[in-house]
Amino acid sequence: MSTLHLKDVAVTGRLEPVSLQLGPGQLVGLVGPNGSGKSTLLQAAAGLLPHAGDVRWHDRPLRDIPMLERGRLTAWVPQEAHFEFGFSVRSVVAQGRFAHDDDEHGVDATLARFDLTALADRPVNRLSGGERQRVLLARAVVTQADIQLWDEPLAALDPRHALEVLMLGRELTRAGGTLVFSLHDLRMAHCLDVVAVLDHGRLRAIGPPEEVLTPALLLDVFGVQARTEPGLTLFLP
Amino acid sequence: MKPLLPARAAWPLLLAALILLSLVSLAVGDVRLGPAQLLRGLLRTDEFAAVILWQIRLPRLLVAMLVGAALAASGLVMQAFFRNGLASPGLLGVSAGGAAGAVVAIGAGWATASFISVPIMAVVGALVSTGAVVVLARQGAGTERLLLAGVALNALLGAVTSYVLSNVTLTYERNAQILFWLLGGLEDRTWEHALMAAPIIVGAALLWPLGRPMDLLSLGSTEAQSLGVDVRRLRRRLLALSTLLTALATAVAGTVGFVGLVVPHILRLLFGPEHRRLIPLALIGGAAFVVGCDLIGRGAGGLRLGIVTSLIGGPFFLWLLRRSV
Repeated sequence: MSTLHLKDVAVTGRLEPVSLQLGPGQLVGLVGPNGSGKSTLLQAAAGLLPHAGDVRWHDRPLRDIPMLERGRLTAWVPQEAHFEFGFSVRSVVAQGRFAHDDDEHGVDATLARFDLTALADRPVNRLSGGERQRVLLARAVVTQADIQLWDEPLAALDPRHALEVLMLGRELTRAGGTLVFSLHDLRMAHCLDVVAVLDHGRLRAIGPPEEVLTPALLLDVFGVQARTEPGLTLFLP
Repeated sequence: MKPLLPARAAWPLLLAALILLSLVSLAVGDVRLGPAQLLRGLLRTDEFAAVILWQIRLPRLLVAMLVGAALAASGLVMQAFFRNGLASPGLLGVSAGGAAGAVVAIGAGWATASFISVPIMAVVGALVSTGAVVVLARQGAGTERLLLAGVALNALLGAVTSYVLSNVTLTYERNAQILFWLLGGLEDRTWEHALMAAPIIVGAALLWPLGRPMDLLSLGSTEAQSLGVDVRRLRRRLLALSTLLTALATAVAGTVGFVGLVVPHILRLLFGPEHRRLIPLALIGGAAFVVGCDLIGRGAGGLRLGIVTSLIGGPFFLWLLRRSV
């Protein structure tokens, strides 16, 4: 059984046909240079972008899943968000409960989890980039969706919050969820179960990080001379 | 910014304002009615007061309320749709589209043939403008793009209206009628007009349950979709409703500018941006605002409603622009 299954998913001009199959409990990192198609792949997998090919969640084709139910099955976090109106942090996080038709369940606990309790009444358009990022992540987590697709969730975060988000990601996958997120810091790749490498809209490699991130591939895709050293592995508590 | 007032103060405050303004609006005029006479007139026990109230002031008041509620709600919807606090029916040219439709109906003589042709043509005109704005600006468009699209449409539709107006074959009576639509007003509104604007109530009722999805949409359509909102369907419904509301308001009162901008803004500032709360508040607040503006106009010796709202709204808009830069 697969949680997220993409078969020949392609987006004209941005993503060449990609096939991959991810199961429950997998923490998946999506790496690749700027413009390699990471965001596009995540959006297509989330059913938010017109695409060719077939996206399946829990072995169900996307087109058979009603909109509201999609909000319960999958959560997507954008790379950045612009907030025109001054909704409070709490009400934005509570939006994650829309598909469940409530606006309270798990909200307080999630706010606390993302260190947002003190900011709960603050308008979102008065937050720093990192705080905004945590609000978006909290909104995704509070959906309790099994499939979590996060676009560069760590980009704006300080080291402590980044580490906490990674730990939370690990918790979600231990509970049976599947988390796919894009990242740039390859040193973090070693604490993932699976790494997928995109380059120029093509999926170059997918598999366990130690097998995929070879010096040869890193040179080819990123143009950097890298040495893989066990010492660079980041251990999570 | 944090809401300036607690949310629970909203309803009592706005309802009190609406009731108070309505009573004053019924009481004052060429003939001033005291509280006792007002009550007797409403109960039809005072023949003289009853004629004034039931034939002149009540229909005018009702039309004012409906127009205000419709324009404020329509502005609120457009702001959520375009994710831009400066979107409103007047600035985007939807009101002008409604007015152009109404003016064409009058100019072509259809209005004389059938009373209902004016609101129908207003809806058609407003629909055309809405379509054009959507194509030109797209949702999530920047303020500049949105306002420029509005400028272009307002100019274009103004030209249509001016053309009909300058058509020398028109009778004086028709010209006067058209001028009425251009300036916006509540003079001589009858029960017929109130009836024509009545579908506004239906539009408001259909809008009522859309507050929560509007919250999500106003923070981004892709995000909203990812959370389970059927964005395409929601956007279609919102556009249809805001167009209908603006068109009906324009059909009975002409172009009344800035209500859809000023009222949602003030309410958001006072009570926060949640649409579940703002929709009913905009309906009541819009009604109170237009009743109040009409009172000011009448007090100032018969200033047209559209002039009063613009005199208030214009400076307010400039202040908003300065603030947002």
